[in-house]
Amino acid sequence: MRIDNLNDMNRNYIFLTIVMLVLAAGTLFLTTSDEPKQIAPEELLQEIIQPSRYVTTDQVAKMIIQGDPSLLMVDVRPEGEFEEYALPGSVNVPLENLLDEENLSYFGVPGVKVVFVSNDDIRADQTWVLTKRLGYKGTYVLKGGINCWMQTIIDPLPPNEDAPKSEFEAYAFRRGAQIYFTGAATLAPDGENVQVQVRRREKTNVAAGGC
Amino acid sequence: MHIHEINPWRTLIAVAIFVVILLIGFLTMPKPLLNYEKSMNESVDALLMSEDYVYPWELEEIIADKPDSIVIFDIRDNFVFGQGHIPGAENLSANTLTFPENIERLKALKEMGTTIILYGEDELQANGPWLFFHQVGFDNMKLLLGGYKYYNEHKDDLYSTMDDDAYYSGFPKFDYADMAAPKEGSELFSDSENKPVEVRRRKKSNIAAGGC
Repeated sequence: MRIDNLNDMNRNYIFLTIVMLVLAAGTLFLTTSDEPKQIAPEELLQEIIQPSRYVTTDQVAKMIIQGDPSLLMVDVRPEGEFEEYALPGSVNVPLENLLDEENLSYFGVPGVKVVFVSNDDIRADQTWVLTKRLGYKGTYVLKGGINCWMQTIIDPLPPNEDAPKSEFEAYAFRRGAQIYFTGAATLAPDGENVQVQVRRREKTNVAAGGC
Repeated sequence: MHIHEINPWRTLIAVAIFVVILLIGFLTMPKPLLNYEKSMNESVDALLMSEDYVYPWELEEIIADKPDSIVIFDIRDNFVFGQGHIPGAENLSANTLTFPENIERLKALKEMGTTIILYGEDELQANGPWLFFHQVGFDNMKLLLGGYKYYNEHKDDLYSTMDDDAYYSGFPKFDYADMAAPKEGSELFSDSENKPVEVRRRKKSNIAAGGC
């Protein structure tokens, strides 16, 4: 009788153990993907429908001229096009290489404004959506892209005579910027690509030296 | 005397209740309205070879035939929509896209196998939402190239835009390297009437945004 009871107990405990193991194994399937951390889809859509990510060529030109250290232009065109011509100081991250570890480390640096650049703004905008899905903050899109850069900064058209004063001011700025970006370049030998100081996000496992 | 020795089934009953509670918990877990159905890598690949576009000249037939299998959504503001839109288009302003009822509506259309065409003022405006819905599994969503602006300029003869490439995005319109080449220094000092750029001075940005 007593032995029967013991057997019953053992059987129950074994059963209990199996159930727990099955449940534990089940939790492994709760997170099936090894995808990087991402923001919720609803949150992403909310971000997308706000137009606050667009910056104008004037704004970017101003930042370059002023040597704004917080500006990092990320050119998402293919490598070949980037080598032919690129905005001064920009780095190349073709869309197909966007998810490379070293390219992702450009984003999310505190205090750095990443501006995506493409021929127009479509591809840059798409890259923005993808990086936003990964939760990176401080990313922007150059409205109009390099095509617009050419039209407004490299070869600006004078406004009509009856245009508002602000347009003349914009034109005056653009003429100055034009000289800066085309004329001033003659001072640099060969127009050689200047070595760009790039800030990458540091790996967090490095112990920060506290002072 | 241990409690199990009184009733050996006691553990079993406890475990059964435990499992039932867990199951109920899982089954009633609130399901999110939207889920990413493309991984990041798939999203990049899909973008690089996407063909989910509608060309302006394709609208000619869609407007004329009004097929049930196609729904056109105008994501501009209601006010602008009222001033003019593509015939047969429905207004679905971008700022209402996140409303659950609108997402349910889009889901219902998807299940019926309906093709959804999105357009905004220009291609850029609808580009973000279009890409977003592709990432959450709406493979039936297409983007109108050129947007409303291009359509409106050519609505009288959409077929003739078949040979036009002005609405294609992503291509350089100029020879950048040549255009931005140094101008022999002559530009540097020639134009004295234009003030040189004022650098390193923080002031209110009164520069009018360019028309791009």
